[in-house]
Amino acid sequence: MTKCRISRRRFIQGTASVGAALASMSSFRLLTGSSPASAEPQQGVTYAQNWCEMCFWKCGLTAKVVDGKVKKLEGQPDCPSNYGKLCAKGNAGVFQLYDPDRLKTPLIRDGERGSGKFRKATWEEALTYVAQKTNELKEKYGPETFSIFAHGSGEHSFVELVEIIGSPNYCIPSYAQCTGSRDIGWALSYGKAVGGKEPVDSQNSKCIMLLGRNIVEALHVGEMQDFVEGVAKGAHVIYVDPRFTKTAAKANQYMMIKPGTDSALLLGMINYIIEKEIYNKNFVDGYTHGFDLFKEHVAEYTVEWASQITEIPQTEIIKAAEKLCEAAPHCYIHPGRRLTRYGNDTQFTRIVACLNMLMGNWEVRGGIYRTVGFKYDAPHMVHFDKPYADRADGAGSEEFPLGPKNLGFANKLMEHIANQDVYPLKGMFVYGCNPLHHHGSTEMVKKALENTELLVTCEIYMTDTAWLSDVILPESTYLERYDPVISTGRRKGYIQFREPAVNPVFDTKGGWEIAAQLSAAMGHENEFLDVREYNRLAFEALGITEEYMKKHGVWVANESTPYPVEDGEEEPSFRTPSGKAEFYSNLCEHFSYPPMPSYEENPVPAEDEFRFLFGRLSFHTHARTQNNAWLLALHKSEVPLWIHTDRAKALGIKDGMQVRLVKEGFKSNPCTARVVDYIHPQAVFLPYGFGHETKGLTRITGKGARTSDFTSNLTDPISGAAGFHNGFVKLEIA
Amino acid sequence: MYSADKTKKFAMAYIVDRCVDCKACMVACKAEWQIPDNDFRTHIDTGIAPAATERLSMHFLPHQCNHCDDAPCVTVCPTKASHKRADGVVDIDNRKCVGCRYCIPSCPYNARFFNNQLGVADKCTFCLPRIYDGLMPACVTTCPGRARVFGDINDPESEISKALKDAADNRYRVWTLRKDLGTEPNIYYIQK
Ligand code: SF4
Ligand code: SF4
Ligand code: SF4
Repeated sequence: MTKCRISRRRFIQGTASVGAALASMSSFRLLTGSSPASAEPQQGVTYAQNWCEMCFWKCGLTAKVVDGKVKKLEGQPDCPSNYGKLCAKGNAGVFQLYDPDRLKTPLIRDGERGSGKFRKATWEEALTYVAQKTNELKEKYGPETFSIFAHGSGEHSFVELVEIIGSPNYCIPSYAQCTGSRDIGWALSYGKAVGGKEPVDSQNSKCIMLLGRNIVEALHVGEMQDFVEGVAKGAHVIYVDPRFTKTAAKANQYMMIKPGTDSALLLGMINYIIEKEIYNKNFVDGYTHGFDLFKEHVAEYTVEWASQITEIPQTEIIKAAEKLCEAAPHCYIHPGRRLTRYGNDTQFTRIVACLNMLMGNWEVRGGIYRTVGFKYDAPHMVHFDKPYADRADGAGSEEFPLGPKNLGFANKLMEHIANQDVYPLKGMFVYGCNPLHHHGSTEMVKKALENTELLVTCEIYMTDTAWLSDVILPESTYLERYDPVISTGRRKGYIQFREPAVNPVFDTKGGWEIAAQLSAAMGHENEFLDVREYNRLAFEALGITEEYMKKHGVWVANESTPYPVEDGEEEPSFRTPSGKAEFYSNLCEHFSYPPMPSYEENPVPAEDEFRFLFGRLSFHTHARTQNNAWLLALHKSEVPLWIHTDRAKALGIKDGMQVRLVKEGFKSNPCTARVVDYIHPQAVFLPYGFGHETKGLTRITGKGARTSDFTSNLTDPISGAAGFHNGFVKLEIA
Repeated sequence: MYSADKTKKFAMAYIVDRCVDCKACMVACKAEWQIPDNDFRTHIDTGIAPAATERLSMHFLPHQCNHCDDAPCVTVCPTKASHKRADGVVDIDNRKCVGCRYCIPSCPYNARFFNNQLGVADKCTFCLPRIYDGLMPACVTTCPGRARVFGDINDPESEISKALKDAADNRYRVWTLRKDLGTEPNIYYIQK
């Protein structure tokens, strides 16, 4: 145990000597002519370009390779994702590469499911086995019996394989489990989804409002850099969360909100802003639709009412509203990330969008900027005919007309696999994700996995899901493989390049190679391009050379303005039916959803229960990095469970005690109680991604709780995305 | 190998407001120096203050070896393995370190630990080879908050001299840890 290195007392003593260094300033000798020695090429040292795969922000990085071993990863200074910086996870990629816990060869199950008995197989054996089983299932149940859950840079390798087989049931779970409701809510309001690289212009913002968007801990380097820049320049930061997070530490105004009442807070602010007529009239009059109806609609949501529901003093609500309006249009209310909370999140994001509309912050500095993308004639990895069957999960059906067919509803699809109630769903592929942790109900996922006759997982680690698989295909990590170049948009549009820094450390292959070989083994004649060939064609289409990308790793292709409205190049325009930003949503009306968002009360926990909240730590991604020894060392492998002092006292729980979460008789592994005053008494908070069962993650198995054992399993009626935060738990001392 | 350049005096500043406790610096340093197991050369302390009756606030305080001008760890080292270089860096010569561990408790900043893998005392070296190769220390390079500023305080054009001058001009709070001990640290804290 490392103890706290400098006690609070010492820190205070440190601050007591403020000004001491000011005195010593005068003693700086003013010598000139000392330029740093320039870097000399070292023997045995090479560099390789890549983008980070420790999370999904895709920071550009350069790997330093010394005598054939990756020694250090550093950010590419010119990459607009991260401008030379990497977070703790990014820096720990080296450990992942050489981790002895990695999957080292293909494995075929050789015992009961869940027994963990696998036999090592050659690639040929494993691929033939999967191909045969796949063809058998296809024969028996039809091609649509297959599903794929895929996340990460190689996701499309397996998605396209499943489409080639003939099934439409592919899911990119980040839609249903993270951003789906938000993107649909935003699309209904502005005609455009937010997208994964949230275009909030923190660095130029004068006022930033975040509702549980914990930018500092649920961290994406680029977004966080912008935020710190904005803070340093003096932006007024309003942070709303039932919990005082590290993002709250950077805020000027922190509001501890009663969990589940965010929409009441925003409606109260909207009411105030409209009543006082301090909104951006120019924008509202010129570029929005349905304001008068909206004004009438929100008249009942007074500040007094909002204060009662949210437990936030009226003065604070008013202050937040005024601060935003003073700063408008150089301000924003964050659209949110993982807005899969209460099962009515699309309407909540509609409220967020409407408040932003009142600011008129569209495509201006400090507000919502325009993501600068670019188009080029990208080659196809493989040509195939689209499957004809209907999706089993209902995405894009009459029930969910707005559900995107190209992303799917991971939660609904899993449910249908568990219940087998649409058509037989007997074959499942999993690429780079871990459904046992990612869904609303572990029970349901377990049932689904039991119902499959073939479960194939392509992974780099023995996840809980891999542990239950029939075949495990070990993938090379990002530092060992090529991938098709990617194009990304933030304030600039850019291309990123990945090349292996070292040969595969174990007997692994890249996703595209695996998919291509599987497809061939199944007897399909579709020709996959080799990734290097794909890249060559892409470079040709882009007019750049591989040499350039090998040197820089990133190429900025489009530098047009991300603020076309403010820069006077364009009038605000929106791809909605009215062509305006819509307070009153025509599409909602068309599909018989409420066209204007209202307050909906969420269920509350019983007296002896807590609302179960979960989220990220700055140094872990989803459930995929918890076993990394360098990252574990940062928190001494402890899994904290936050609980309010008064509630803890009543239960006899003291800070540091081991406690278990309990729900319907089910108990978690022990977690370490973190007894604090700065979480709402009605909630407990657990960092996401612990509680692994698999014996293949030797450092972390059995530690902490798995969130999916305790969340709610709801579906938003508009977007089809999940809702996790209506799970209620009890605690007991371990 | 990297003999000290007498014209230089290396120092670091943390712009405390910009630190977000992401711990990227800790892991970058671990990677660069292959620090074993649960040890790190730099740490971030989190202080939450004060009781619920007052306005909640939280600060993040990075720290590591202060490269003291009057370093107790150097004074107590019987083999002169720990030494102060002409460029300001307090370094440990692994060949001379006998692992007696006197230096570890002598450091009032708790900056040293025992490296079990190498059998020697260990701590921050300001990334000596890197800085003579023209690079920034690993923790500075990676810091997403740009909270860390490093350089030669003898050079008025260096980033750190500019940061300290800017802080003085704007009357920001600037301090070093435990000034009262007279160890003359070379890590500065800047807060607006
Ligand atoms: S990397 Fe920078 S921002 Fe992150 S903890 Fe270290 S000093 Fe603070
Ligand atoms: S901080 Fe500690 S280890 Fe570093 S020079 Fe000062 S006394 Fe020595
Ligand atoms: S200067 Fe180098 S050795 Fe010192 S803490 Fe930073 S990375 Fe580690």
